[in-house]
Amino acid sequence: MDNNSLKAQGNLIMPPLKDARFRRWRTMPKDIHETIVAGVFLLPAICFFAVFVVYPIIVSIFTSFFNYSINRFEFLGFGNYINLFKDEVFLKSMKNTIVLVIGVVPFIILFSIFVALTIYQKSSLVCSFFRGVFYLPVVTGTVSVIVVWKWIFDPLSGILNWFLETLGMINQPIMWLGDKHYALWSILLVLFTTSIGQPIVLYIAALSNLDKSHIEAAEIDGATNWQVFKYIKWPCIMPTTLYVVVITIINSFQCFSLIQLLTSGGPNYHTSTVMYLVYETAFKLTQFGYANAMGVILAVVIGFFSILQFKFFSNKVEY
Amino acid sequence: MKKVFSLLMVTLLLLVTVVSGNIQVGAADDLAQLKAEITWWNFPNFMAVDGVIGKYEQSIITAFNQKYPNIKVNLENIDFASGPEKINTAIQGKTVCDVLFDAPGRIIAYGKSGVLADLSDMFTGEFIKDVNNNNIINACKVGNKYYMYPISSAPFLMGFNKNMLEKHGLLNMLNLKGDRTWTTSQYKALLEALKAKKERGAIIFCSSQGGDQGTRAFIANLYDSSITDEKITKYTINDQGGVRGLEFVVNAIKSGLLLNGSASDGTAAIDEFCAQRVSHTILFSSGLFATKKDQIKFEPIMVPFPSADGIPELEYLIDGFCVFDNGDANKIKASKLLIDFICNDSIWGPKNVKATNTFPVRSSFGNLYKGDETMTYLAGLTKYYSPYYNTIDGFAKMRTAWFPALQAAFTGDKTPKQALDDFVKVANDSIKQ
Repeated sequence: MDNNSLKAQGNLIMPPLKDARFRRWRTMPKDIHETIVAGVFLLPAICFFAVFVVYPIIVSIFTSFFNYSINRFEFLGFGNYINLFKDEVFLKSMKNTIVLVIGVVPFIILFSIFVALTIYQKSSLVCSFFRGVFYLPVVTGTVSVIVVWKWIFDPLSGILNWFLETLGMINQPIMWLGDKHYALWSILLVLFTTSIGQPIVLYIAALSNLDKSHIEAAEIDGATNWQVFKYIKWPCIMPTTLYVVVITIINSFQCFSLIQLLTSGGPNYHTSTVMYLVYETAFKLTQFGYANAMGVILAVVIGFFSILQFKFFSNKVEY
Repeated sequence: MKKVFSLLMVTLLLLVTVVSGNIQVGAADDLAQLKAEITWWNFPNFMAVDGVIGKYEQSIITAFNQKYPNIKVNLENIDFASGPEKINTAIQGKTVCDVLFDAPGRIIAYGKSGVLADLSDMFTGEFIKDVNNNNIINACKVGNKYYMYPISSAPFLMGFNKNMLEKHGLLNMLNLKGDRTWTTSQYKALLEALKAKKERGAIIFCSSQGGDQGTRAFIANLYDSSITDEKITKYTINDQGGVRGLEFVVNAIKSGLLLNGSASDGTAAIDEFCAQRVSHTILFSSGLFATKKDQIKFEPIMVPFPSADGIPELEYLIDGFCVFDNGDANKIKASKLLIDFICNDSIWGPKNVKATNTFPVRSSFGNLYKGDETMTYLAGLTKYYSPYYNTIDGFAKMRTAWFPALQAAFTGDKTPKQALDDFVKVANDSIKQ
């Protein structure tokens, strides 16, 4: 690129100025120039990220080494972390959290792929209708959806018990959220229904973008539906799967509002999750340091699971 | 000489009176002209007017502003479910309100944390003499400093659906004479009779945290246990009576006389009572009745908790105000003026107590409910008040351990004795911490 065209390009970006600093700016190498411009555009987002994400993370890690409450701030070293591993309620909550993740994520993936495969080739009206139906819980708002579920599960006046009693399947009302045998399953069901909306929409989009010639060629060669899915569709939607798995696992690990609104961690901590315990410890007991230590442990566990997923899936992802 | 001296003394006395009078008038004028903007966070203790929560409180502020036109009061209503967490977060973020209307359980904990303004100057000799109740006065202070200014008080009782009992011919199974006291065996007989008529017993709620005091008092009363010792130095509800009480509840749930409330909070349990889906509630009060009046389409009847000896030990509510020390002396002064107006104004003081449907702590307010049979009955129950333990150290930590203990017993994770022993261990540890 000659000097004149560089100048002309510079003129497009900046108005002609006689100041020496701006002359230097216009004659600057293109890559540096672009980097600076990109940085300026990113600056508001970086500031926002630094203030509302990076800073709180640093403060959380720092305060997790302190006995930090409303009127105390004493250094404990690893005291909070040591106490956490002796804390039965924390260990129970961690176990529940992992059960939730393992119990719900595979079903979300399988169900989402099944729904997407079933409807992605239907007419746009049908496809939009089902997308709307499955996405409705996502846009309705968590609290509203959970309140409805609470009514459904109500042991005295809930529709679920009424339905099962009417069918003669149960004689006594079941306390879905208060019985240790059913509570975690009920939470799993609600978490499942509130989590499938986004994966279904993403899978429909991914499947709709597949190159149809590959599928047609395979079908002409006599491939069965299963073979088409296994050798063509599944590898092609792997980037979407990686994204869905990572995001769904992180969201399931951070399950809080469901627990807060449905069971408050009960009965006897059978549905308590780490995020709920963080909330209870910080805002009911005002033990902020201890709560932050729980948060740090949870972040480490989520990080570990995320690394595993990238290791497992990234070899199979072709962009 | 004597005359001259007397004249001098009289003149001096007059001068002092005039000057001090001027100072007082000047001080009162200064206060009337005080400029400040304060925020008042309010739990729903006052009755809703026209179904609107906060409307009555706005009328208090309007009346207050007629006396103190330069103090702007911003009212924010908070609820019992999320309010306590909101306050804790705000304290930490230094965005907490100036005035809070709450109860000693939380207020004294804030006082111990050093975030409240000292209200000792409001506890004049006249006020303490007028209250004339050491339990109430002691519940408002930490050491020598007062942090809560009380306005009203009321006992927590059980509530029964009188119409339902009448319909089934079971009303005579309640003692409606005298103080309406009764025994645990009488209560059990009523539960069995209700079950025979296919009516549901009370929900023993133990989800979330609100209303936990009702469940503790209910279980402690059944076989004459006590939640703490007399001096409130340790928890004792795991004694033989407490264990028998919890065993009674667990067995009653198993046999369908009472309902397992592991998934129900106090509000839900009371709402089920108001909706007539259960025959009674183990937590009811005149204040709760006032706030739920619009929902109740039957006549509720309040009775004390049953006990083995027929002498109940009642928990009671104390309503009061605290002022957060936000580092602005002017705001603290304005907040105290607002509290003084709400609690002590000759017109609005009694009116405000009536709006909470509870009893004034000031004896000089007299009987505000003349002719009201229920309120007259409730006023006579103070002799059954138990030691007020809500100001004990570690109260918040103890509360988080109580419902899991009940849930552990109800789900069979622990025996009633194990559940209460474990609870008492955690609760006593919380006192030391």
